[in-house]
Amino acid sequence: MLIRVEGLEVSYAEMPVLRDVSIEAQRSEAVGVIGPNGSGKTTLFKAIVGMVRPKRGKIFYDGTRLDGLGTPDIVRLGIVYVPAERELFPQMTVLENLDLGAYINQKARGELLEFVFSFFPRLKERARQLAGTLSGGEQQMLAIARGLMAKPNVLLLDEPSTGLAPLLVAEMYRQLSRLKKEGLTILLAEQQVPLALSFTERAYVLENGRVKLSGTSKDLLGEPEIKRAYLGVA
Amino acid sequence: MIPILIDGVVQGLQLSLLAVGITLIYGLGGVLNLAHGQFAVTAGIATALLISNGVNVIVASLLGVLAAGVFGLVIDRSLLLAAYRYKGEERLLLGLVLTLGLSFVVDGYLNYRLPNVALTLRLPIPSLSVFGITIRAASVVMSLMAILVFLLLLIFLKGTLLGKAIRSIIQNEVGAELCGIRPARTRTFIVALSAVMAGLAGIAQGLFSSLGTEMGVEFTILALIVAVVGGVRSINGTLVAGILLGIVNAYASYYIGAYLALIILLGTAMLTILIRPSGLLAYWT
Repeated sequence: MLIRVEGLEVSYAEMPVLRDVSIEAQRSEAVGVIGPNGSGKTTLFKAIVGMVRPKRGKIFYDGTRLDGLGTPDIVRLGIVYVPAERELFPQMTVLENLDLGAYINQKARGELLEFVFSFFPRLKERARQLAGTLSGGEQQMLAIARGLMAKPNVLLLDEPSTGLAPLLVAEMYRQLSRLKKEGLTILLAEQQVPLALSFTERAYVLENGRVKLSGTSKDLLGEPEIKRAYLGVA
Repeated sequence: MIPILIDGVVQGLQLSLLAVGITLIYGLGGVLNLAHGQFAVTAGIATALLISNGVNVIVASLLGVLAAGVFGLVIDRSLLLAAYRYKGEERLLLGLVLTLGLSFVVDGYLNYRLPNVALTLRLPIPSLSVFGITIRAASVVMSLMAILVFLLLLIFLKGTLLGKAIRSIIQNEVGAELCGIRPARTRTFIVALSAVMAGLAGIAQGLFSSLGTEMGVEFTILALIVAVVGGVRSINGTLVAGILLGIVNAYASYYIGAYLALIILLGTAMLTILIRPSGLLAYWT
């Protein structure tokens, strides 16, 4: 397993947010994490990249313990998180944001820039524009592109379709599939459950900080509980 | 009128050089450094001691600036670590208390052990006359040095990867960490660099009058006023605010008297903050 989370527990001010969560992802696999708002999806991702400290449990990446490491060290191992809040540098240009995405990978900067511009040609047109002046959709593209500039082995995407027009969402998932075929492991938290389950091979359903269901995405799409809760099927 | 304006601009450049460190340390580390003036005094007093021991003025000045840089580095890696453990308001408040305490300790030590040491530098260059206006050699040297330092700083921040990393931390520390940037290391570098720039401003004081061991608090207050008026996270704003307040101070000192100049300076700062609460160039930088 490339990523393995075992018995993870996270609390905010003594309030448990994740309870005994265990998930795993293989190389080149896309794994979905779905669940309602407040179910702990974002906290799980934040714990994997060292942004929140787990109370209990272990996180492994290719056999290396991640819990206890700082975010920059985890990024340097090849695990990149693209948060729903985007966390861009608003007063820097698109190009500067991308440059900083390749902070740990400067030698390949030119090649990576070409690569992300082929994914998001709109960003090439806006290269000299300040990130803070981009539209919501363009900012989302920039956040993903900045993550890709680090040439990650594992990409954690938190609600990537937020703020994007449907056509752009379809295009983004088409490009993400291309990345997956090239060997990228993707962990995806997505509100649009049908989209998440059609993109991923396996998925975990979180509810109140616990893994309620897990299995292949195909099987989960057929689960009555999923149909009822997320697909609007009675 | 014009000579006062020139004096004001020169004073302003010196103030900006002092204040830019406050801006950088606050922007990057979330700490308002109340011992910033002590960096300037450390450089000046170290220079004075070296000169009195027969060291060449230029070498002594360089070593003085270096001493300030090392002092900054040590403070960042020791005292400020306690503040860096916290975030937001808690870090700011603890940082205020720690640096205020440090300023008392440094002032107390210097005034007790070296009460009669002061730095006075005399340049072996005559004053210049430009279009009939006499400009002191010290003003020329100070201005050129400040402009050069600001140019280098801007080139560094805009044109190098480390500079961009520093700007990214100022804008969004979480985003910077997600790019693999380590804020702690960058912060140490910036505190040392800020101490070096304060050291240059301190030594420059010796060109105009004299730098004494008791001047740390005054330097810190002036630097804080400039940094706040400039927008506390804006380097361009600090430069503009320094020059603006330097000119106000020069005219106020000439026409009303030095004793009221500080009050007028504070009044100008308050007025600017009322009109532009986020600082002079808050939307530009």
